[in-house]
Amino acid sequence: MSAPDLLARCLGYAPQLLDGAVTTLYLSLIAVVCGFFAGVFIHVLSASHNRLLAGFARTYVSVIRGTPMLAQLLVFYYVPTALGLPLPGVMSAAIGLSLNTAAYQSQILGAGFRSIPRGQIEAAQTFNLTRRQALWHIEIPQVVALTLPALVSEMIDVVKATAVVSVIAVTDLMRVGQQLASVSYRPLEVYTLAACYYLAITTLLSLAGRALERRIARRT
Amino acid sequence: MSTLPILQLRAVGKSYGATRVLQGIDLDVMKGEIVSLIGPSGSGKTTVLRCMNFLEPYDEGEVWIKGQLLGYRSAGRTIRDRDSEKGLAEVRRPVSMVFQQFNLWPHMTVLGNVAAPLILSKNASKADARKHALAALTRVGLAAKVDAYPGRLSGGQQQRVGIARALAIEPEVMLLDEPTSALDPELVEEVLSVIRSLAQDGMTMVMVTHEMSFAAKISDTVVFMEAGRIVESGPPAQLFGNTGTPRLQQFLKPWFERSLSAPISLEGRVDTI
Amino acid sequence: MESLLSLAPRFGKAMLVTLALGLSSALLGALCGFVLNALRLRFTRWLSRPYRAYIWLVRGMPYLSQMVIVYFGLPVLGLTLSAVQATVVSLAFYSAAYFAEIFRAGWASIPPSQLDAARAFGIGRAAAFRTIELPQALVFSIPLLANQTILVIKESAVASIITVPELTMTASEVVSSTYTYIAPYAMLIVCYWLLTQFIALTARRVMKLIAPLEDA
Repeated sequence: MSAPDLLARCLGYAPQLLDGAVTTLYLSLIAVVCGFFAGVFIHVLSASHNRLLAGFARTYVSVIRGTPMLAQLLVFYYVPTALGLPLPGVMSAAIGLSLNTAAYQSQILGAGFRSIPRGQIEAAQTFNLTRRQALWHIEIPQVVALTLPALVSEMIDVVKATAVVSVIAVTDLMRVGQQLASVSYRPLEVYTLAACYYLAITTLLSLAGRALERRIARRT
Repeated sequence: MSTLPILQLRAVGKSYGATRVLQGIDLDVMKGEIVSLIGPSGSGKTTVLRCMNFLEPYDEGEVWIKGQLLGYRSAGRTIRDRDSEKGLAEVRRPVSMVFQQFNLWPHMTVLGNVAAPLILSKNASKADARKHALAALTRVGLAAKVDAYPGRLSGGQQQRVGIARALAIEPEVMLLDEPTSALDPELVEEVLSVIRSLAQDGMTMVMVTHEMSFAAKISDTVVFMEAGRIVESGPPAQLFGNTGTPRLQQFLKPWFERSLSAPISLEGRVDTI
Repeated sequence: MESLLSLAPRFGKAMLVTLALGLSSALLGALCGFVLNALRLRFTRWLSRPYRAYIWLVRGMPYLSQMVIVYFGLPVLGLTLSAVQATVVSLAFYSAAYFAEIFRAGWASIPPSQLDAARAFGIGRAAAFRTIELPQALVFSIPLLANQTILVIKESAVASIITVPELTMTASEVVSSTYTYIAPYAMLIVCYWLLTQFIALTARRVMKLIAPLEDA
């Protein structure tokens, strides 16, 4: 095994791994965005005066945080099948990932919501903004700016969590790696290269996140 | 005079659990009138103000704004009769508020803060809202700061933005909750002069304040509260003229001593300031 | 309901496997992380960069990708590990990074003035480490350590892919042999949730014992 051969082989794996990486990113993006809105919803529920709704939200978060992503994905893949509504792997993955990150985002955002001074909400009430308007125009812009580091961190975690969707037959980066490894009989190279792709993605996200934080900090 | 008061409180009461914070509050505010609420801490004066726009719900009695009942569907109601969000918004539309802590929204520019209620609550177009907001900001002398963020402004400037925000919706009554209490002393005058000029233009105002001289000079009616009740109310000459109840005398003693002069007699009002 | 009960013994055994797997990996990882942090504190000038590089690498890749490198990739270099061995090794290596960061935060929480005081009274470095730094850093870290242990247990589910007989693997076996889906996966969720709650509760009780006066 010589270096130029190794390089040639890695370049050979690259296009397929790139395809897998695109699927990974695509799933991560859907999950993070859907998870954001779902997370806001969960937080609103958990802060509600209705004890049933608040209890449901709290239980939901406890279960999601207390169980592995893989177990949740298996549930979202096989249970619909058992109930007579089989879902394609990608859809189960998207749903499972979104619901998972929603729980974590609700906790992150919740901390942000709690630090908005009550007076700002009172001002919104005084000027007859509806609760929804106060939520989206007054609270959420500030909450996102406040919790941005934690949200970026969560997004990176989501990218890493997507690796397990390979188990439910989604051709993400990890699964492409598995396919290439079994075809080429060179697991060390292939898996290491796939790992490097993940590293590249998470590092870029981390840098982008920090740049975004700096931009927001400059404004306040 | 048989015109309807713009703001009416009838036997208003409020409790927090077992604690009574307001009792038997009766108050009429006519159009163009300036009412000051004074009294020691815990007297309930801020609570009364906050009941006037239903920031705090009241438990007994009625609050009427321009002849419409505030917060409830019918007089003599139970908890179940709370008005809907839309109904409440309709009734309190003519009322706006200026807060002690300004309560500006830090992620919006000054112009954004003043325009937001117009865009979101009155469904004005962005261009229209901008125009009204700019006019209000000019009125308080802050037209130059339209693109600044509240965090960069002094306390006095922030409060003036708050006043502009309250003005932009073209209210008929302005409620002011200790507008200068959170300000450094050298910044108080710039805010008071804006309030003074609004009073001169005929704005109806109800103000909770500790600025006794200001209240004495600017008000039509001064209301002294203690322990949740109105103890005395009347024109400034009466309350500040050292002829009031003993409790009022005691409350105003530091002010009398500080203002050096004997109890004042006031002729005319706003135009002699 | 009765199908759930019939699964209980099998899942109970699998729970113990998961717990053993998770705790041993976490313990090994915590030890390695502790040593790493201690070395970094002692030899800051030389070890600071390699330390940051290691953290960046391990935290930048999913655990699954690291596990498959250890299990499938290392044999290429002549080092073949069983599924359980590969899981424990890779999980310990992975979690050591997180544990090291927890200990780093724990040490950073100690005001430097305390170390100055120690030096002023002639307390040697090792003794200061043992009696002043260690106790405070540990108390600070316990909730984070417990949380990381929970994370390790959750990551161990991935070992089902290389057929380690833990909870997730067991659930999949039951599913494929009985063709029922809801009962086994419901059991799976419940079992993991019980495990993680147990760890969290234990940590809270330990905190109360050790630091009854702390507000945290």
